[in-house]
Amino acid sequence: MPTAWVHFNAQRKAAGQELLALTADRSGTLRATWLDPSDGRQTWMDWGVSGGRFPSLSVVLPEVAWDEREIHDLFGYLPEGHPDLRPLVRTPRWPTTFLPLGGSRRPPLWREVEPDLPALQVQGEGVTIMKVGPTHAGIIESGHFVFSLIGENILHLDVHLFQNHRGLETLLEGETLDAVPRVVGRTCAADTVSHQTNWALAVEHLSDFTAPPALTRQRVVLLEAERVLSHLNDLAQIPAGVGFQVAHQRALSIKEYWQRCLKALFGHRFLFDTVRPGWAKATSGEALVEAVRGLRQRFGPWRRLVEGHVGFQDRMRGVGVTSLSQVIRLGAQGVAARAAGKPFDARQMLPWYGEFEVKPVTGVEGDVKARFMVRLEELEESLRILEAAAPRLPASPPRPAYFALPPDPSGRVVTFTESPHGLNVHDVTLESGRVVRYHIRAATFRNWPLLAQAVGGNAVADFPLINKSFELCYSCTDR
Amino acid sequence: MAVWTQVVGTATLFAGSPLLWGLTQKVKARLQGRRGSPVWQMYWVIVKNWRKETTVPEHSSWVFRIAPSVSMAALSTGLAMVPAGGAPPSGWPHDLLVVFFLLALERFWVGLAGMDSAGTFGGLGASRVTTLGTGIEPALLAAFGVLWQVSGHTAIAPLAQGLSDVPGGGLPWVMAASSFGLVLLAELGRLPVDNPDTHLELTMIHEATILEASGRLLSLWQWAMTLKLTLLLSLGWAILGPPWGSNPWVNLGLRCGELAATAVVLGWVESRFTKLRYLQLPTYTAVAAGVGVLALFLVAGGFGV
Repeated sequence: MPTAWVHFNAQRKAAGQELLALTADRSGTLRATWLDPSDGRQTWMDWGVSGGRFPSLSVVLPEVAWDEREIHDLFGYLPEGHPDLRPLVRTPRWPTTFLPLGGSRRPPLWREVEPDLPALQVQGEGVTIMKVGPTHAGIIESGHFVFSLIGENILHLDVHLFQNHRGLETLLEGETLDAVPRVVGRTCAADTVSHQTNWALAVEHLSDFTAPPALTRQRVVLLEAERVLSHLNDLAQIPAGVGFQVAHQRALSIKEYWQRCLKALFGHRFLFDTVRPGWAKATSGEALVEAVRGLRQRFGPWRRLVEGHVGFQDRMRGVGVTSLSQVIRLGAQGVAARAAGKPFDARQMLPWYGEFEVKPVTGVEGDVKARFMVRLEELEESLRILEAAAPRLPASPPRPAYFALPPDPSGRVVTFTESPHGLNVHDVTLESGRVVRYHIRAATFRNWPLLAQAVGGNAVADFPLINKSFELCYSCTDR
Repeated sequence: MAVWTQVVGTATLFAGSPLLWGLTQKVKARLQGRRGSPVWQMYWVIVKNWRKETTVPEHSSWVFRIAPSVSMAALSTGLAMVPAGGAPPSGWPHDLLVVFFLLALERFWVGLAGMDSAGTFGGLGASRVTTLGTGIEPALLAAFGVLWQVSGHTAIAPLAQGLSDVPGGGLPWVMAASSFGLVLLAELGRLPVDNPDTHLELTMIHEATILEASGRLLSLWQWAMTLKLTLLLSLGWAILGPPWGSNPWVNLGLRCGELAATAVVLGWVESRFTKLRYLQLPTYTAVAAGVGVLALFLVAGGFGV
């Protein structure tokens, strides 16, 4: 007999809704918040943890397997019936009594033990276990990958992320409104505007402030400028996976051009500290149009180069295939989900984008090539939005802020935006102007399990290519 | 022909190998829109690594330590056998088959070193190098076989002389040269077969075998890599290139020019390709071997001789 908790969540999933966030708080209450893509309405359910336990959803809702493991690691609540309760965030160096969000906030003394966690491996004749990372040869983040190989083929991949847990959610507890943006904006350098905007939306919602069009357009410009940067980077990395250095380096130079434009337009190469409640960094429409024109001049020839390269196109086809049913089952988001045919783009749920008529770009095959092409098209779409928004930006010098921060907003709200990596959600609880609980659920958190499934059956030499086609963020995941 | 022409020629090519490597790198960098490191960079890298501390994996044996030296020795010997400034002095060994087996010896030790590094990547690299070798070697042998049939010699100098006596080269010669060209890219670990510049461990073939090497061992491996480049390119020019002039010094100068030009072309070729799927490489080497064997049949049938 399924409990009401399981029943509620399974029903939402069956109805085609998107899970925004599943998290707990110190008082022992779980909350699952769902979004109905047809009308943008949110529904949620609370469930009290009893005796430190709660019924696990993972068997009926595999996409929350990591959320529940995280809750187990950080709060100490036990999801009963979870099929795989190995530590996810927890390292053996934490004393067993240390619960970052459950007990004392003071960091304990680390234990002097090897940080190895049990890995899921295939056993049998001729199976090789290959461990890669957490330190890699390139400038990338820390992830430990345990491959089970048979010859050159991948049988199973076990990903061990969370190597650099920063405890952002613990850090934000009790913070004042002024202190939050600095931390939230630094959750991730690739999705920073999206994170900052989520916080701004939360405060504005709890203060009953509706942003005027002048402000929302500035934010749309920032969000799209960020998407262009992130997509340029991801597009640059994919050719590197097959040794196509010419396309790789040229795309990096286009990315550098864009970062210099961002520095000139908004004062920061990564767009840190550009959005706050009631405010967004403004720029002039003409300068923006000029920057986009320069980008188009550089991007056009590059696009012709990669689209006309038979070897490169062939190399991406049929590699790292994800099916639509897999994508839906694991609740994947962003480019990875759209490339397999899931037409969800959170921008359509945001009223700000109404005047720009965003169309989600989708693929069919769900392979590396589809993800590459979806990014190409989305980048062009973002450029189009930037050009459409530029003439509507206010000509007068920007106002310092559109509303004054109220002294003590209270309440709980779930806000989201479409970051370059997909649906980015913040579940924020404030009480008298201070943060009680801040939960960040970035898109890549849902996509990592999909990546692990997508590589099975592929040649191990193709893993870098597949990995780069997902280009998942570690930083957003390991907050 | 004086012995010391060959000695000076070999020494020049030996010392100039890292420059040849640097030239290819420079061309690649330019085509990528980068300024690139100086053409001398490989010398600094070799010297830098030579001065660094050498650490070896805990579970490795003497094999891991002597492998780069064996590799260096095999390739240097091969290089010394290739006529550098005209027909080599009498009594100087310069048999094509010996060069072939020296290349096989080098591959064998690269594989051993990879396995002996006691790491997963070393083993993976060794497996890939030897697997690829089973495709490269027949192709190389077939190409050499054609040249031997056409010219009637296996010693490099008379073989080259014999080839240039056959009017127009003939179809078998073209096929053997194509086969050799395909094998060259594979044997050198160049795109589209292997990428010498990658940092992606999982995609590496040759690099994976020396991933655990450091200090002097790495320095030797790197010099050996450049030697292999020089050896194969100058071998190609020696047997397939234009015939010798009378002045050995002019010949040597020409050879250096030919090598430099080939290094530039190699950089260009590499920039045009993406890396093939590893599991498609057997098809690649099979094409090379197939063309070579076909040419061998043609020659055996009396065609083009």
